[in-house]
Amino acid sequence: MLVQRNIRPKRRMIRSAGKDAPFSAFVYVFVTLFALMCLLPFWLMFINSFAKESVIARDGFTLFPKAYSAYAYQFLFQNTRVFSNYRVSILVTVLGTCAAVTVTSMFAYALSNKKMRYGNAISFMTYFTMLLGSGLVGFYILMVNWLHLKDSLLAMILPYLMNPFFVFVLVAFYRGIPYELNEAATIDGANDALIFFKIILPVAMPSIATVTLFFALQYWNDYFLALLFIDDYKLYPLQMMIRTLISNLNAQQFISGSRTAYAIQIPTYGVQLATVCVTVGPIVLLYPLLQKHFVKGLTIGAVKG
Amino acid sequence: MGLFRDIRKNAWLYLLALPGIIFLVVFSYLPMTGHMLAFKDYRINKGIWGSPWVGFKNFRFFFGGVNWLPVTRNTLFLNALFIIAGLGAAIVVSLLLNEIRRAAYKKVVQSVIFLPYFVSWMVVSFIVYAMLNTKDGTINRMLATLGHAPISWYSSPQYWPAILTIINLWKSAGYNSVILLAAIAGISGEYYESAVIDGATRFQQMRLITLPLIRTTILVLLLLALGRIFYGDFGMIYGVVGDNTPLLATTDVIDTYSYRALRNLANFSMSSAVVLYQSVMGLIVVVVFNAIVHRVDENARLF
Repeated sequence: MLVQRNIRPKRRMIRSAGKDAPFSAFVYVFVTLFALMCLLPFWLMFINSFAKESVIARDGFTLFPKAYSAYAYQFLFQNTRVFSNYRVSILVTVLGTCAAVTVTSMFAYALSNKKMRYGNAISFMTYFTMLLGSGLVGFYILMVNWLHLKDSLLAMILPYLMNPFFVFVLVAFYRGIPYELNEAATIDGANDALIFFKIILPVAMPSIATVTLFFALQYWNDYFLALLFIDDYKLYPLQMMIRTLISNLNAQQFISGSRTAYAIQIPTYGVQLATVCVTVGPIVLLYPLLQKHFVKGLTIGAVKG
Repeated sequence: MGLFRDIRKNAWLYLLALPGIIFLVVFSYLPMTGHMLAFKDYRINKGIWGSPWVGFKNFRFFFGGVNWLPVTRNTLFLNALFIIAGLGAAIVVSLLLNEIRRAAYKKVVQSVIFLPYFVSWMVVSFIVYAMLNTKDGTINRMLATLGHAPISWYSSPQYWPAILTIINLWKSAGYNSVILLAAIAGISGEYYESAVIDGATRFQQMRLITLPLIRTTILVLLLLALGRIFYGDFGMIYGVVGDNTPLLATTDVIDTYSYRALRNLANFSMSSAVVLYQSVMGLIVVVVFNAIVHRVDENARLF
């Protein structure tokens, strides 16, 4: 639509033909450099996870290591630690996302329905939590002393079940669905729950998908809840495994699970890099899907009408 | 009365809302009672309700101590840096990305700059460690080839505001520029057509058409960020810095401070006072900025 570049300027501008060329070149160079800057760390992590430990020790992390080996991955998958952490991450993400999407989408539908006279009051109650936080201390006491959720998978799931921001994104979307659908179904004798599950939910699938991915990403990437409530390393999610690997100087003992492993040469950097790669892996694999829905979701939620 | 009638009438709707309502009550409203501890001396065996009242003692302790000023300053200063650099970069990137006419290339670039947003802070933390650690870090290796002595980044607090700003920019610029690009996509092509007839260059079109027309979106993003200026990004700062004492001088924000008061010192009352101070300041800031921005631009407001 904007290709009429050769129309001659009428005002002030003296440089005419090709006057946009330097600007255009600048645009391409700048944008490409920025994109490379975003990509570079990923490449470094990925390629160096396949580098020989001795090469990393000698040259540091380089763009193209001189010698390669898959020993770090072999080593990582030899022991059970990574599998149990992986299992925790997957369990928390899958269970959490399913529950969170169910709770949030049902709640948002009730709020969006004008029939409910106290809907506004509940909306405000939801909105208020965005203004005044509940505070770390109260939250900690609730989880540990009242609900007794220390060292439990539920501690990593329950606190993220609902998010006011996603509620309002969904409410906005539901309100855009023609109310006649609802009326027609009511005349046919369907109750509100049936209407929601059979009619509204299928129509709202695109935005539900977006919210689902947001939740999944949040659960997968979170370490805060595990940091607060999980002391048992068997219940650590992958993110905590990375944290332990970085902060624990004795990564060797953590990986092999005992002090007797002194005889084997441990690829410390290699194992750290490999762990990072298996953590980011699922996200990168699902990235095309993620990106599509995120962009859609952002345009629903963030650009307010 | 009215409520019960409504519940009976719309029983199914209330049933759909019930899990959400229970969640709000349990996970948002019940913990708010914890704010009371700011005025109490918390004893674990007596709980929130039974612990004795001590008035403003915890606040006097916090505001009288050496920490509140640096912690508040760090929170505001780091957030200001993040907003200026992050939003600035997002504006520049989205404007320039919009100038790219090759759709395929634009799409690739957009995907790439959005990627960091999806990565966890723990992974970022490791990346930072790989870049900056004294012995094998990429940056120090590069410095060595330039004949420069290695810098001990993890014990030099003066560099960290800049480092954290770069990390934040790397992680969030793509995300924000996608939002801005969506706003740019909504601008009618007619503006540009008439500008071209008037002889505007591409740069002039960008500066005089695109930028003013996405002003509302920029203001909304700015307002969202300013509303949270009293809230440090715990996930990021604790993830990257952790309990690294030498760096706390420039990196300790209210959130990490109250976390350590709670977890490392088990000082519940003090942590409560800090959190309440933060919540109240945050609330004031949101209300004030909302009013200001509403005055500047009618359409840009949150509530």
